[in-house]
Amino acid sequence: MKLAVFFLLLLPLCLAKPFHQRGLFDFMLEDEAGSGTPEPTVPPGYPGMAVCPFRCQCHLRVVQCSDLGLTQVPKDLPPDTTLLDLQNNKITEIKDGDFKNLKELHALILVNNKISKISPRAFAPLKKLERLYLSKNNLKELPENMPKSLQELRAHENDINKLRKAVFSGLNNMIVVELGTNPIKSSGIENGAFQGMKRLSYIRISDTNITNIPKGLPSSLTELHLDGNKINKVDADSLNGLDNLAKLGLSFNDIASVDNGTLTNVPHLRELHLDNNDLSKVPPGLGEHKYIQVVYLHNNKIAAVGPNDFCPPGYNTKKASYSGVSLFSNPVQYWEIQPSSFRCIYERSVIQLGNYK
Amino acid sequence: MNECVLFLLLALCSAKPFISPSHFNFKNVMLMDMEDLDDDDDDDDDDKDDDKDDDNSLFPTGPSIIPFDLFPVCPFGCQCYSRVVHCSDLGLTSIPKNIPYDTRMIDLQNNKIKEVKENDLKGLTSLYALALNNNKITKIHPKAFQSTKKLRRLYLSHNHLTEIPANLPKSLAEIRIHDNKVKKIHKEAFKGMKSLHVLEMSANPLDNEGIEPGAFEGVTAFHIRIAEAKLTSIPKGLPSSLLELHLDDNKISAIELEDFIRYKNLQRLGLGNNKIKEIENGSFSSIPNIREIHLEKNKLKKVPSDLPNLKYLQVAFLHSNSISKVGVNDFCPTGGRLKKTLYSGISLFNNPVKYWDIQPGTFRCILNRNSVQIGNYGK
Repeated sequence: MKLAVFFLLLLPLCLAKPFHQRGLFDFMLEDEAGSGTPEPTVPPGYPGMAVCPFRCQCHLRVVQCSDLGLTQVPKDLPPDTTLLDLQNNKITEIKDGDFKNLKELHALILVNNKISKISPRAFAPLKKLERLYLSKNNLKELPENMPKSLQELRAHENDINKLRKAVFSGLNNMIVVELGTNPIKSSGIENGAFQGMKRLSYIRISDTNITNIPKGLPSSLTELHLDGNKINKVDADSLNGLDNLAKLGLSFNDIASVDNGTLTNVPHLRELHLDNNDLSKVPPGLGEHKYIQVVYLHNNKIAAVGPNDFCPPGYNTKKASYSGVSLFSNPVQYWEIQPSSFRCIYERSVIQLGNYK
Repeated sequence: MNECVLFLLLALCSAKPFISPSHFNFKNVMLMDMEDLDDDDDDDDDDKDDDKDDDNSLFPTGPSIIPFDLFPVCPFGCQCYSRVVHCSDLGLTSIPKNIPYDTRMIDLQNNKIKEVKENDLKGLTSLYALALNNNKITKIHPKAFQSTKKLRRLYLSHNHLTEIPANLPKSLAEIRIHDNKVKKIHKEAFKGMKSLHVLEMSANPLDNEGIEPGAFEGVTAFHIRIAEAKLTSIPKGLPSSLLELHLDDNKISAIELEDFIRYKNLQRLGLGNNKIKEIENGSFSSIPNIREIHLEKNKLKKVPSDLPNLKYLQVAFLHSNSISKVGVNDFCPTGGRLKKTLYSGISLFNNPVKYWDIQPGTFRCILNRNSVQIGNYGK
């Protein structure tokens, strides 16, 4: 009885939450509280069995059908499914009715199949879909009409060469977009393609053929990862307005110069990776930047480091001190750098200078 | 039981929205930074709050004095939120060092990790799920899982492991080790696992000799799949708790009387695409609760003898065999004996038997006429 009262007291607390969103695999972890032995004897009727496709496992609204050699999405999936894992199969196509009853689906994993075609209406019934994983398939384009509820989209390692505005517009809940290892060229990215995603926080377009930082990125962005591309220059313009950007990854490109004013456009940057590029000098504006903590510049062509390259002249105006600076594998020799160049760094181990790794 | 419900409810209540709070927090930090000149302290305080809230932001706002690699922040390029660390598809060659200690799930799939080292998972005492599938792992240190006492789900599929790793956590509910090079399952490899829901180890070069006697000793498991392997008979000594057993795509040639005697609870049995010629009379009588038997693509000459006794059997796949005759009592019970559930799927196509040689009464205990496939259509 007391328990019941307590229970009732708790309920409104739950309901009081303005907006309840599940963490990624919360439902996968649901068994954590009752981790005792689940029905060791035969449960009468074995609910779920009638609808769980043979060889798949259906447990706690998670349907696992990975590694089964399936050539299509199984029929008659349990309608209360929240996570459907179909990775490592041989599915070639996503058809209109494939997900028709899955109104509760939060996550759909289609990684490592042979999907080259997604019917335009296929995802329409998935009103609650938050995570869509399409990596390692043969898609040439992302599907239009993705659910508006989507928060995370992964389409790594496909044949995508075009990113159209129409695909992303209105996806106002999107937070993470991963599009690495696709044959994308800068000309294939429509102007302002990502602008429609008002909450976008993380985007990764690595190991593609792009030669510029895409323009018109949403100002909500906190991380931008563009490593392993063919970018040859950092324009100040392309980072304009990225007031929230905290991490910028540009390693393994062909960058020879960073525009003056680039760092002023990203006033809250904490981490900048420019290692493995063609830089001949330290990017301008680091000394004046207030929050930068990590700067990777190893494996470049930097031949000299000036006394004000990292630290502000005169009084230290930095609000966060460096926690990692790498300069090794550059032509500059450590004895040629004045010790005072690092006067705003208090921890010796923060700087990696030598040609070691 | 009530406590369990309460816990669940609590967990739900305390579940954090995906990103908004950290985003909010970040902005707060920024604002404070801008307003307050002496802001280092503020920054630090906020970080401590973050820790208390178990709310990992998408980026670290680490205290500035401590070197970055000593502070458990989100590894560069990964996304950390709601205690989930996402580091898939990053080309990583080792497990990142600075994983937040309170992480519940780590997604490291599709990288180039070669090894799980002794201290890679050290201190991750809250870890529930670890996805390492699609890497190049050949070695897992025997002490690698020493800290992860709560690990429930472990995904190791598509790697290069040659045996089931030693000292896996007893808390595991799901192990996937599909498509590796596992040849050996040592004695007591799964010992102490009391609620192993799923053990998937298909597509490994495992034969019957590779499974040491006692390999499954002291384990309670419900769903085991060892398909696409080199089994020549039903493995001995699997857990008696099994509800589902899938051994499709092997080289099993015969089923003997004692093969299923341990598995009183078995409900689904997959034996498709083997070389089964003989099924000893009575073999299936020891699994009275069986719902589905898949025996398609084998070398059977007749319908297995026990089917009429299986009160709950609904699905019997027998297509693509060498069955040349079907008797009127091969599927349905005779006399006053009851069938509790009617057949919903019987497949007999692609067998030498002709449909006009089968008496209509043979299928007197099926759900409807669509439940039987006899013709030579289909596969």
